[in-house]
Amino acid sequence: MAEAEDAGANPVNEPLDLVRLSLNEVVFVKLRGDRELQGRLHAYDSHCNLVLGDVTETIYMVDEEDEGEDVRTVKKQSEMLFVRGDSVVLISPQQ
Amino acid sequence: MLFFSFFKTLVNHEVTVELKNDISIRGTLKSVDQYLNIKLDDISVVEEMKYPHLSSVKNVFIRGSVVRYVHLPAAAVDTPLLEDATRREASQAVAKAKQG
Amino acid sequence: MANLPPSSTHAPGYPPAIPMRPGEPNPFDQPPQPQHMMNPMMMQQQQQQGPPPPGPPSIPQLPPQMFTTAAQLLDLTDKKLMVVLRDGRKLIGVLRSWDQFGNLVMQDTVERLFVQGLYADIERGLFLVRGENVSLLGEIDLDKDDYIPEPYQLAPVEKVFALKKAEDAERKMADGRKHKRLAAEGFEGEHAGEAIL
Repeated sequence: MAEAEDAGANPVNEPLDLVRLSLNEVVFVKLRGDRELQGRLHAYDSHCNLVLGDVTETIYMVDEEDEGEDVRTVKKQSEMLFVRGDSVVLISPQQ
Repeated sequence: MLFFSFFKTLVNHEVTVELKNDISIRGTLKSVDQYLNIKLDDISVVEEMKYPHLSSVKNVFIRGSVVRYVHLPAAAVDTPLLEDATRREASQAVAKAKQG
Repeated sequence: MANLPPSSTHAPGYPPAIPMRPGEPNPFDQPPQPQHMMNPMMMQQQQQQGPPPPGPPSIPQLPPQMFTTAAQLLDLTDKKLMVVLRDGRKLIGVLRSWDQFGNLVMQDTVERLFVQGLYADIERGLFLVRGENVSLLGEIDLDKDDYIPEPYQLAPVEKVFALKKAEDAERKMADGRKHKRLAAEGFEGEHAGEAIL
């Protein structure tokens, strides 16, 4: 992995540097609006705008039953996705 | 500026913009600006029956702040080039922060 | 038409800069636009830039002045637009003026309500819309103008307004329950923390 040389040339100083280490890796992104994404990180900026490839989007919904509320998920696929940064809550490497 | 430039390379490609109010609009990307406001021509609205107010609309200007996603054709994106540009932009941002 | 400033700076490396050597005629020179449309408040949004470094053109030459808010809104000026606001309201009117924030002045505005197969129009006159509240601007195709898709039927304003009010209240309650349940799972809604409806 390029992490060793990357750490020397570009030390991890601030939180977004951690995101840089995940470029071209699969990441997990939590978004506002009860959504999560998983995909390969190709681009980001200081606003946390992202471009992800091969993405699975998971949307959490609530089914209102008589007995109570049930949480279910809807999954969608996308080959390439731009994500606007103001929706991003967190970005994490996916092991 | 990275994403502004990125979108400029996608002009004339067909994209689908998903807004935060859940409307999805497919169309040809005609223009973008520094705020990532987007202009689409020749649009078709996904689930158009749900959105009757857009039935006689052919072109739209979408305010950048209401965009949730833009679905892109993978073939139109040079991912290694994009990753390189991202690294450059990231180190520029660090350098600028150090100066200021 | 006065020469517009060159486009904003490109990010380094993506894409290779458009090779426009100064002095060369731009093959995409647009025909002059009507002078009275030049909004006096249109600011110089881009910084002046020296000639970009020459390189192989890997993307088609595009007129750089297309890529500004001003250029996009100028295109829509004096046209009949459908403006969708963030709170879901739909306004139809003629765009007369705008500024760099996307604030809009619309003339002869009509607010159109759609609910349960019915619709109604409310005359609103002259509107100043604050840009941050705008979701999208749609250019109404005049050939299809006043085309209301099936099964929507015109109905009296009072009735449509009352129905809409009830529908909105119900939706708000359902959203409240949903977000409460999902907050327990660690999620937050799209507009949590924002001062909108």
